[in-house]
Amino acid sequence: MAILELQRVTKQFGDQRVLKGLDLTVPTGSIFGFVGENGAGKTTTMKLILGLDTLDSGQITVAGQPVRYGQTVTNQVVGYLPDVPAYYGYMTPTEYLTLCGRLTGMHQPDLAQRITQMLKTVDLPQNRHRIHGFSRGMKQRLGIAQALLNRPQLLICDEPTSALDPNGRSEFLDLLASLRGEMTILFSTHILTDVERISDQVGILHDGVLQVQGDLAALKRQYAQSQVQLKFASPTIAKQAVAAIARPAVQTGVHVTVPFQDDYGTMVEATLRALLAANVVPLAVDRQETSLEDIFREVTACRQQ
Amino acid sequence: MQATMTFWHKEWLAAWRNYHVLILAVVFVIFGIEAPLMAKLMPDLMKLALGNQLPIKLPQPTSSDSWQQFYKNTSQIGIFLLALIFSGSVSQEVSSGTLVNLVTKGLPRYAVIMAKYLVAVVQWVIAIGGSFLITWGYTAYYFPDDKSPHVWLAIWPVLLFGLFFIAVVLLGSTLINSNYAGFLVAALVFAGLALLNYVKAVKRWNPLALVTDNLDLVRGTEKITHILPACGVTVVAALVILGVTIWTFNRKRL
Amino acid sequence: MHNSDLFFNNLPLVVPLMLLELGLLVAALVSLYRRKTVRHGNRLIWTLAIVLVQPFGAIAYFIFGREVD
Repeated sequence: MAILELQRVTKQFGDQRVLKGLDLTVPTGSIFGFVGENGAGKTTTMKLILGLDTLDSGQITVAGQPVRYGQTVTNQVVGYLPDVPAYYGYMTPTEYLTLCGRLTGMHQPDLAQRITQMLKTVDLPQNRHRIHGFSRGMKQRLGIAQALLNRPQLLICDEPTSALDPNGRSEFLDLLASLRGEMTILFSTHILTDVERISDQVGILHDGVLQVQGDLAALKRQYAQSQVQLKFASPTIAKQAVAAIARPAVQTGVHVTVPFQDDYGTMVEATLRALLAANVVPLAVDRQETSLEDIFREVTACRQQ
Repeated sequence: MQATMTFWHKEWLAAWRNYHVLILAVVFVIFGIEAPLMAKLMPDLMKLALGNQLPIKLPQPTSSDSWQQFYKNTSQIGIFLLALIFSGSVSQEVSSGTLVNLVTKGLPRYAVIMAKYLVAVVQWVIAIGGSFLITWGYTAYYFPDDKSPHVWLAIWPVLLFGLFFIAVVLLGSTLINSNYAGFLVAALVFAGLALLNYVKAVKRWNPLALVTDNLDLVRGTEKITHILPACGVTVVAALVILGVTIWTFNRKRL
Repeated sequence: MHNSDLFFNNLPLVVPLMLLELGLLVAALVSLYRRKTVRHGNRLIWTLAIVLVQPFGAIAYFIFGREVD
């Protein structure tokens, strides 16, 4: 069962159509990477899921319940980490989390225990210091604490890593990955390596619709363009190599790329034999993997033509 | 209801930690003391300013002078201080995005406005009430005369006007995303009502009567029944404006 | 009649007023120097306003000058 489903969702601001019939399915238990360029409509989509903005048409269901603007039934199962979390600077983290907990229907003493536990998880001290003195990273960590406070079934993070330094990013991704199995996670990003690192599901938003979505490994197979890249000492030698190989090959500088459909082993064997026969020796033979970036480029490029 | 209470607690914490309670308390206690003090000092100050050669004898100050000063301070400065303090109440939260988190957690939007309104009203009632009691005490002690027979009657219209004025401030703060929008809208409404007073026919119905006729009420030269229509208009207007504010806020992008 | 008479004849009124203004002055200065930044102007200007224009300087500082959080 899918914990989150969007069907034919459209949204427009003025005469700019941001979402044009978006279909999105997030399977329960997955870590879903929601990818798109800046301004593609990722934040808008998330605000719609949270009922913070009105749909023009279409339907959104969270855990089987339809989302309605201003109605908060579905929000009790969702935790949300905004891209730039804004707090009340005059509160201490404990006071802020108590406010959040009360609003989600939590009660003392469970709430106090949970707050102590969450502050420990995100490594924030539990003392009288108020939030206005917090650094960016501390605010982000408090953001995680408030999002996870009521043990949500679905965690939604909007560009959670874009404002963090490399160390902070790595720590944050580890934290998200550690939540696998406890909850479903939907996070948006334009940093593709983040998605490859922790996601099992991916959706690429471009031009108002999801161009691709599904299992990351399956997508890689589907979009796989098997090719081998050979490296030579100089462009001249590379040119000789292209002539010697006797199958379609593309030369760029010292590199020669050879696409293939057949078995990798037989193909490389044949190629190397041909090269040796022509007295050309490659410096390196490299089998190229399909990356999410290749898929992203392909799906965004073909729509632009 | 539960959520309104939760947000009410948050609003009190904000009022306390942002020194709003302190400002209101200090200013209104000052008002409370200043009214009888100014009344008492007035003849002496005039003497100092004009010299002792003054041929006419200055009249002795009365309790009425004290109350005149009190209502001048509260209805001309106090109420605008209130407007200034609550001016950014909604707009600041909307522009900084602090409500996004709480609304996604299940805080109903009406609860935001209701809690803010109620907290402001309670602060207003305490401020004006405290100030009134202080002036009342000093005035009874220094000016035990019969010039102000209806002291306890005249304060209610001021309280009532506050309910209306706070609703206007919140509406302004909800309509326009600027820190001073609430204050400016309230000031414009105040000016508009003042202009409206030039039309004789509506004077009895004008909410402004609630903060202009107080001295006449204290002295007994005007009966409370005279401004009852204005009281009615004020209460209805306060409720309607509060409703419009909630309606507007429900449609606002956070 | 002297200014001092005005003062001593009205002690029950003047003393609480002075205490209040002193309290406000101290609260404003403490708040001002615990913060790193102010809105509208700088610390020196606000210090002068708080000390010299009582009690309006302090009230204005709390409403306009204090960094909101």
